[in-house]
Amino acid sequence: MANKTSQQSKSERAQALMREQQRRERTRNLLVIGSIAVAILIVAGVLFAVQSKSDKTGQTAKEVPTNLSGTYNVVIGKKSAPTTIKLYEDLQCPICKDFEQVAGSQVQAAIAGGKVKVDYHMVAFLDRSSTTNYSSRALNAAMAVLSTAGPEAFLKFHTIAYANQPAEGSAGVPDSTLVDWAVQAGASRTEVTPLINGNVYHQWVLNATDQMSRDHISGTPTIFVNGKEYTSPQQGAAAVLAATK
Amino acid sequence: MRQWVGVLARLVVGIVDVVAGLSKFPDPAGNVRQVRAFQILPEAVVPTVGHALPTVELVIGGALLLGLFTRAFAILAALFFIAFIIGISAAWARGLEINCGCFGSHGVPANPQRQYAVDIARDIGLLICCAWLIVWPRTRLALDNLLFPNDERLADGEQDKSAVEV
Repeated sequence: MANKTSQQSKSERAQALMREQQRRERTRNLLVIGSIAVAILIVAGVLFAVQSKSDKTGQTAKEVPTNLSGTYNVVIGKKSAPTTIKLYEDLQCPICKDFEQVAGSQVQAAIAGGKVKVDYHMVAFLDRSSTTNYSSRALNAAMAVLSTAGPEAFLKFHTIAYANQPAEGSAGVPDSTLVDWAVQAGASRTEVTPLINGNVYHQWVLNATDQMSRDHISGTPTIFVNGKEYTSPQQGAAAVLAATK
Repeated sequence: MRQWVGVLARLVVGIVDVVAGLSKFPDPAGNVRQVRAFQILPEAVVPTVGHALPTVELVIGGALLLGLFTRAFAILAALFFIAFIIGISAAWARGLEINCGCFGSHGVPANPQRQYAVDIARDIGLLICCAWLIVWPRTRLALDNLLFPNDERLADGEQDKSAVEV
């Protein structure tokens, strides 16, 4: 009888010990999980803060280009022209270059002939295609030309920039070359040099690119002919060629 | 064997997430535009989601590579892959053409229909890896083994003592 009791209490003690150990293990595991979870949250918080802080989109642009037709576009051609072509283009975009090579000169002839007006929405979302943010620097230079020398000069710069587009993944083109193109397009060297070297319209360029996304345009070139949208560059080019014949 | 398959699943999902997160990290504005292009979320949350994406991918990917809280992060990763599959399917069904920035690519793809199918197939494959890890979260070469050597919930059928030594 006494034996049995002691055996019973022995196994009870063992069970209690095991329970105690399990309890300790649980507490330890919760502590480990809790502290690592806190560490992960801190890392995630820092990464998130870096992301949102480095995104300047939407901040007010101190320098805004002049000679624009709207906030982020420039319309070139006679107001009375029966056909309106609207283009979203990035100066670093190779498919835009293809489009300009196929249709560019015919479009410019049609503008001169009063057949069409072209609503240029220039954007710069391909900064990562060069090692020097060529996309946004080139657009800044185009806006410097527009602001100082007017729409015709802008159009010339646009043509020069597509004809000399740097390859994707390259170092792009230095500011000094952008200045040369601007002068070639008809801008004054002394006027555009500080605008180009200072990348003064950078914030406007960011906001223009954001506006494209808000317009639900997700890539370039996006081509509209009299309001009809072509996301396929081939069909868009065909429609533009037909409209400018 | 099962524990080595788990290592492979962790590596596949972890590397994909870390690479995707790293490629997105330098272009926060682009990520926001990317999220907006799907036209699913309300504009009020689009910037926050865009800024959070690379962080979430880096944290999930990093944790899976280390084998840290494997089951919890496999569940999180699975939820994200399901969200991506829904988002891509919705964009596809509505005929949206999205310059998929999944890996920092640019421009509208030459053949968006095919791109959608490829993206969905990839996400389903990754989802299967996650499912494996949710069912069998105990794997070799994982931090979990050091942190929770005796955790019954993590143990799978093969009770392998050597797992503890790793």
